[in-house]
Amino acid sequence: MTTYTLSIFTTNTIGLLNRITIIFTRRRLNIESLTVCETERKGVSRFTIVIRHESRDAVEKLVRQIRKVVDVLAVFGYLDHEIVFNEIALFKLATPLGGTPLDIKEINLDWNAKVVHWGLDYVVIEKNGTEAEISEFYQYMKNWEILEYLKSGRVAVGKTEKGLVEYLPEADWETV
Amino acid sequence: MANTQTMTAEATTIEPPKFLTGAQAIMQCLVENNVKTIFGYPGGAIMPTYDALYDYQDRIKHILVRHEQGAGHAAQGFARMTGRAGVAMVTSGPGATNLMTPIADALLDSTPMVCLVGQVKANLLGTDAFQECDIIGMSMPVTKWNYQITDPNEIPEIMAKAFYIAESGRPGPVLLDITRTAQADFMTQPFVYKPCDEIVSYRPRITPKQSQIEEAAKLINSAQKPYIFAGHGILIANAQDELDQFARKADIPVATTLLGMSALPHNHPNYIGWLGMHGNYGANVLTDEADLIIAIGMRFDDRVTGDLSKFISQAKVVHIDIDPAEINKNIVATAPVVGDAKEALKALLPLIKERKHTEWVAEFKKYDDIEFEKVSKRDLFHDGDQIKMGEAVAMLSKKTKGEAVTVTDVGQHQMIVNRYYEYMKPNSLVTSGGAGTMGFALPAAFGAKVGAPDREVIALIGDGGFQMTIQELGTIAQSGLPVKIIILNNNFLGMVRQWQQLFFDKRYSFVELQNPDFITIAKGFGVDAHKVSDRAELSGELDKMLAANTPYLLEIVCEKEENVFPMVPAGASVSSIRLE
Repeated sequence: MTTYTLSIFTTNTIGLLNRITIIFTRRRLNIESLTVCETERKGVSRFTIVIRHESRDAVEKLVRQIRKVVDVLAVFGYLDHEIVFNEIALFKLATPLGGTPLDIKEINLDWNAKVVHWGLDYVVIEKNGTEAEISEFYQYMKNWEILEYLKSGRVAVGKTEKGLVEYLPEADWETV
Repeated sequence: MANTQTMTAEATTIEPPKFLTGAQAIMQCLVENNVKTIFGYPGGAIMPTYDALYDYQDRIKHILVRHEQGAGHAAQGFARMTGRAGVAMVTSGPGATNLMTPIADALLDSTPMVCLVGQVKANLLGTDAFQECDIIGMSMPVTKWNYQITDPNEIPEIMAKAFYIAESGRPGPVLLDITRTAQADFMTQPFVYKPCDEIVSYRPRITPKQSQIEEAAKLINSAQKPYIFAGHGILIANAQDELDQFARKADIPVATTLLGMSALPHNHPNYIGWLGMHGNYGANVLTDEADLIIAIGMRFDDRVTGDLSKFISQAKVVHIDIDPAEINKNIVATAPVVGDAKEALKALLPLIKERKHTEWVAEFKKYDDIEFEKVSKRDLFHDGDQIKMGEAVAMLSKKTKGEAVTVTDVGQHQMIVNRYYEYMKPNSLVTSGGAGTMGFALPAAFGAKVGAPDREVIALIGDGGFQMTIQELGTIAQSGLPVKIIILNNNFLGMVRQWQQLFFDKRYSFVELQNPDFITIAKGFGVDAHKVSDRAELSGELDKMLAANTPYLLEIVCEKEENVFPMVPAGASVSSIRLE
């Protein structure tokens, strides 16, 4: 299984998320993560979708089907080494009286994470990183009682010199 | 008293409306698009638009169908004849869901269609209101594009976009879900209609890249046994003349797909038949011997390829298609050409060498002889008492000189029509290919007649499929469209029965029909109807039908357990085609 990251640029239209995800559903492809956000171009949304697949050919076919959607501007498929990518995880930890104290210094310096909220008997810790880094940090966090753990989808940017600008020239697209 | 005061106050403050209502704007957009006929069925959520239509009757003809599915298939029939989007107008909820089958059918068969669908008032969306249905969500997988209109000011732009998307590139169905409020409210700005000719996120490539054309030409010029697969794309692009010149110049045999049928006249020296599950013997078997396949406007459907892993694995492939998603989808293309079939052939013509492939073309003839001996002869010249579907179709073909538009339903008769109707004019077969929608033919036939009023339009339908949209006889009678209807009645769901016979040990599971008296029914609807079961009378009955200038139904009672051959068993390689 290889991980593929798809960057999909679309016009910002209601229902487009559905129109894109049904392409995956119909082919029985499971979406590992999905992130939608606005871009530096006005009215343009960016979908970052991560899937795992054994066949590059099937992924290429999928990309062509997504590209076919009328409101889709461009689709790019990447392997992990072709992108810079990250995720964000939040851990809600119980910190009852008498419990093991948190080592803030270790969390900050060794794990590159930080406490973003102090509650009465809990804290929220934020950790940015790749799936692997977050999962390693998760193991460390298990030293405390994890009340809640959640993770965002991947955000990724291609390691090419080209940017969105090349595909959506300013002549056609106002910047935000 | 207080009441009267309020009313007077209101009456004095309301200014006369300056602008069109959304419904009037919809009508105006249809006029601007030169839409002369629409097919529809009224209901609650589309009533404001039907009210506006009342004032537009002199410019837009509305054909009232008997079921929304009929409106959709009729719009398809119209589109297939004209190349322009057929328009179907229905109400929300069940009206819209009834339109889903034609929409799915149109997507698979690349048929341009604009569906105007009513929706509940905007403030009721999501409240499970009466006849509310999430038709945008439902139609998403089967439309090329869909959009919900909630503001009447959007109508001119969205309607223009809808027609552009439906008709351009690879054509397809578009659905507009229009809230009752968007229809009934007044626009707050003057109506300005500007046809759409570009969408930034949608730019179908019409003219192919020169480098792709050169690559393709190189392969064509060096091939020893080239073979053209001509698909629906030829007819959509109106490229039959270019195909003719191309095939003659390079002397390449041409087979069509089911939907590509009539791309070349039947007597064309390079036309060798059709591909696929029930296609011709040589056309199928010789795919194994070609060294180059030139596929034009076709998508290597599983009914054409059979076992994909064994299909044309020895050959190089030039694949010309306007839809880049079709390239390498099923068959890997050695030289892909993305573009319109007409433009691609025009660009290729000067680059290809004049050649002769006399022996190669003649090879198909050998197989034709075998097929004639084993299959056609049995279908056409037999001394049994009962009429065979094949002989009826062949007789019809002769009597109409192969110039009629045949509209077929789905099943055995559909395959038989393709086998024995000898098409002489392009764009003469309207059929449901990709979806295989039973019930398609009757409504599609009157849609086709609206699109091509000067051509003889003949629907050929099995007794099963006929009963799926039988109510459209009422539409035909009311509109007076002189559509000819032939029921090839074998009292069975014949194709399923054939499969049960061949692959399920003759276990006939629910395929025999107790049919009604079709003649009485047709007459009840006001359609002239006749029945023939004696072979000696077949010719005379067909003549009578063709001479009629009113709607006319002819029921032909056929042999009950006839099978269609050749046949490539589902999932088998095309070389394992059976002749009996």
